[in-house]
Amino acid sequence: MTVLEMMERSGMKNTTLTVAFIKDAIHLMQSQVDVHTATWKTDIADGTREYPFPANMIRLKSVSIKDTTDSKYKRIRRLTHSPVVSEDTDPE
Amino acid sequence: MSYDTHKTWFFQTVGRNIHLWQYVESNATDTLAGIRISLPDEYYGKQLIYPDESITAGLRFEGTAFVEPFVSVDPNELNGSAEPTLTNQTSPDEADHVNLTRMLSLAVVDYLKAMVSDSSGDLEKKEYYMREFWKKVGDDQSNKRRNFNVFPISPFAIK
Repeated sequence: MTVLEMMERSGMKNTTLTVAFIKDAIHLMQSQVDVHTATWKTDIADGTREYPFPANMIRLKSVSIKDTTDSKYKRIRRLTHSPVVSEDTDPE
Repeated sequence: MSYDTHKTWFFQTVGRNIHLWQYVESNATDTLAGIRISLPDEYYGKQLIYPDESITAGLRFEGTAFVEPFVSVDPNELNGSAEPTLTNQTSPDEADHVNLTRMLSLAVVDYLKAMVSDSSGDLEKKEYYMREFWKKVGDDQSNKRRNFNVFPISPFAIK
């Protein structure tokens, strides 16, 4: 369906505002259901625990770590509680 | 070398970041006459530590994302018998298509109607259209699933 058809069906007049609302609607849908999914990979650095989420990710489905013995990504579990160590100043 | 990563790695979400933890059960060792032995006074036990190794492309996220929200051709129509070739439109205009199924596009129309009602102050209508929005999103999801409900019938049931 084109943006114009959506404007005509809904009675919207402003194209820029319609495009912004369409993006909001897609964002809302993607927060609840899987419309479009994607995967992202990043390097793990020895001694670094903090990694940012991908900028264009809306909802996290799973996190995996590469098992280098068989080159497979395996899903890891979420910690149910915070560890006792809040920061390790000498992780090595 | 990472192994059994599904058993030995854990994560935590902290704001816009993820914290990775590696589970280890370790103690200090020494090699005596070619045999590795644990040192009883230096037992560290079970603990969560920061990642203990570098892994190239080792962390993989899977999630929902903005993937080409606007495209130049109708994503629901075949190109002959082939899948349509979708080109992302970074500056969408009225002629561009929203990259959603027909049902989700109708849901977006309901969302737009809800926003029109919201700006005119008609909150009852807004709530109605938002309900319609979620109903269509749910209908679209159920199109991909096939569930069976089986009920046992009592032998003495009156029909």
